[in-house]
Amino acid sequence: MTFEMPQFALAAPEIWLGVMACVVLVADLFDRSKDSRIAFFLTQFTFVVAIWLALSTHWGEGVQHTFNGMYISDNLAGLLKASMAALAALTVGYSRDYLLQRDLLKGEFFLLALIALLGMFVMASAASMLILYMGLELLSLSLYAMVAFDRDSRVGSEAAMKYFVLGALSSGMLLYGMSMIYGASGSLIITEIAATAASGQNGLLLAFGMTFVLVGVAFKFGAVPFHMWVPDVYQGAPTAVSAFLGSAPKIAALALFLRLLVEGLGDLHAQWQLMAIILAVGSLAVGNLFALMQTNLKRMFAYSTISHIGFLFLGLIAGTDEGYAAALFYAISYGIMSAGGFGMIILLSRRGFEADMIDDMRGLNDRHSGFALVMLLLMFSMTGIPGTVGFYAKWMVLQALVEAGLVWLAVLAVVFAVIGAFYYLRVLKSVYFERLEDPMPIEAAMGTRAAMMGTGGVVLLLGLFPGALIAVCRAAFGL
Amino acid sequence: MIEKVIFYVFAGILLAAALLVITARNPVHSALSLVLVFFTSAALWLMAEAEFLGIALILVYVGAVMVLFLFVVMMLDINIAVMREGFSRYLPLGALVAVIMVLQMLLVIGAAGVDLSGFAEATNPALSETNNIRMLGNVLYTVYVYPFELAAMVLLLAIIAAIMLTLRRRGGTRHQDINKQVRTTKAERLRMVRMASEQKNEQ
Amino acid sequence: MIELSDYLVLSALLFSIGMAGIFLNRKNAIVLLMSIELILLAVNFNFIAFSHFLGDIHGQVFVFFILTVAAAESAIGLAILVVLFRNRGTINVGDLDTMRG
Repeated sequence: MTFEMPQFALAAPEIWLGVMACVVLVADLFDRSKDSRIAFFLTQFTFVVAIWLALSTHWGEGVQHTFNGMYISDNLAGLLKASMAALAALTVGYSRDYLLQRDLLKGEFFLLALIALLGMFVMASAASMLILYMGLELLSLSLYAMVAFDRDSRVGSEAAMKYFVLGALSSGMLLYGMSMIYGASGSLIITEIAATAASGQNGLLLAFGMTFVLVGVAFKFGAVPFHMWVPDVYQGAPTAVSAFLGSAPKIAALALFLRLLVEGLGDLHAQWQLMAIILAVGSLAVGNLFALMQTNLKRMFAYSTISHIGFLFLGLIAGTDEGYAAALFYAISYGIMSAGGFGMIILLSRRGFEADMIDDMRGLNDRHSGFALVMLLLMFSMTGIPGTVGFYAKWMVLQALVEAGLVWLAVLAVVFAVIGAFYYLRVLKSVYFERLEDPMPIEAAMGTRAAMMGTGGVVLLLGLFPGALIAVCRAAFGL
Repeated sequence: MIEKVIFYVFAGILLAAALLVITARNPVHSALSLVLVFFTSAALWLMAEAEFLGIALILVYVGAVMVLFLFVVMMLDINIAVMREGFSRYLPLGALVAVIMVLQMLLVIGAAGVDLSGFAEATNPALSETNNIRMLGNVLYTVYVYPFELAAMVLLLAIIAAIMLTLRRRGGTRHQDINKQVRTTKAERLRMVRMASEQKNEQ
Repeated sequence: MIELSDYLVLSALLFSIGMAGIFLNRKNAIVLLMSIELILLAVNFNFIAFSHFLGDIHGQVFVFFILTVAAAESAIGLAILVVLFRNRGTINVGDLDTMRG
């Protein structure tokens, strides 16, 4: 066994996050202010620097491996990390005001977010099954704790328990699959697994392991039939946590899929394609149909997430680099929309009141026409109406599907997207056409308002000029 | 031959104890059965020449994690009767799922006929030739330095999360303030009282 | 001699017992956590068996990390269990039906 000194500089983003997590931990101890000011600003500063570090170390530097082949630095890693850090910064920005109003604001929240982001970073540039597992656990364990963050909430602890049991179960499935893949290929390194998969040796054992891995990944995504936890967790968790949970970790789940099932087991694509089609169609159907029946906005967003995950899987099913680029674009744009949707709930909530019912959106236009416009943009984008970023996300996925010859799936996806339009438009009906007797003024702090307007601006801007982000997503796959 | 007999005896105990874990009426019995599961697993791992992991399983799992489990079971006042509800209702379904899963997995494992040739000699000399702990140590701090550091973060996270979730400062409880204890001066603790000597009236 | 398949079959049985435990003990969160430990143990058996028969130390290193992470995981799981018990006075997972739909 030869050991060569690793190039630590390549792992600069991870090292930065790890060091800053320790700094925030200690700094928060000496912070006597009631709103954990130091932890908040340090965390946001860390996120911003992490975006810069991810791009400067990984983007355009070619493919490099270090830590004995366990760490990979490529364009994909750079883009994944930058978008995850940006979404984390946005959602943590929303959360401060919310937590403050509910007397929940503690430095630990920011610490958990930092460590969760570290886990996502680790997954994004993992080139070994062991590293993927460690990153996944760093992410999952912090998310379990974040969901239970409101210790005195019955629904919160209930959601956390469900999330924990199902999350740990899915980790177990994933690990069982990994152990079979290790047995079949004799290595933990992704490139060596890919070599075994290409040679066709131990094909059955590899396919057996791949099935378990796919189930584990589907659990983490929340794809049907492994979606049971999604609505309960989204509804039960504090809204600030739901916002965090619904955005960046989805990109991390995509990273897990890309690194393990595409880069490692890409040669088994024909075998996982059918299973992925079942997951995708199931998610589209269940997500859209159940979302129609919801009255709780957080629950509706949860089912809408499931349907969007179905769409994202369609891009992966195509099995081409165009398809993967489309899935990546979808994940990033969905992360922004989801953060915006939960951000709106946070914005309209105030101490002792959660604006988490669809009825709470009534008369938003009378209360503040600007925020009503942002909500309009978000809902249009989730539906996929041209002029918003969501349209291009759906468009790219459909294009990849048609190019891969799966026209029937594309047609089915469009049908479900039209069904989906109903519940998004129902929210808009509340916003614009239902009136309240005495509209309450919006009490949100300046920071939350600015973040909300910024999110709306990004959705519109990316909708009008999607070229740059599309080009970047394609470049990540060498297109 | 004798090895095979030992393996099957331990495997039998392992599976019986595992079944007891999921069917026992009392969570304490479940936890104790799990201890037995870990002990027999450790023995089987020793047979597979994973000596360090076998010992670590007993030290870490039985010594720390299972004690934590038992501690929580005993701390929470659990109504056993209520928890058993639905057990018999789910039994047929659960057993069916388990049996089907076992059959499927056995079919695949049986049919796969794992072909381990090709990588075996490429990686390492036979594990038995060297000290297992030395081999693990050699790679753990060099090749695996990255996951090792990540494991440190996982443990830090577990500490933070567990304390954050369960630590409560209730009013009325007595806390020790070390800082205050150390800074204390003689004047705070010792009061000199001048009092007259007692009269000896009895005599 | 003990074959690789002996270990794999044992692990498959253990994994299935763990899965069955999750199905059966829907109301008892603490046994759910123990079932998860059984599943992870089954995974460890696989890695150790493959590591032994491949003559490759990396599988054992993976087990080392699984043990570490699983210990951290059960600590957090038990912490959540304690929070749940404080809020509801029960660890009965069947009662977790505040949210529906």
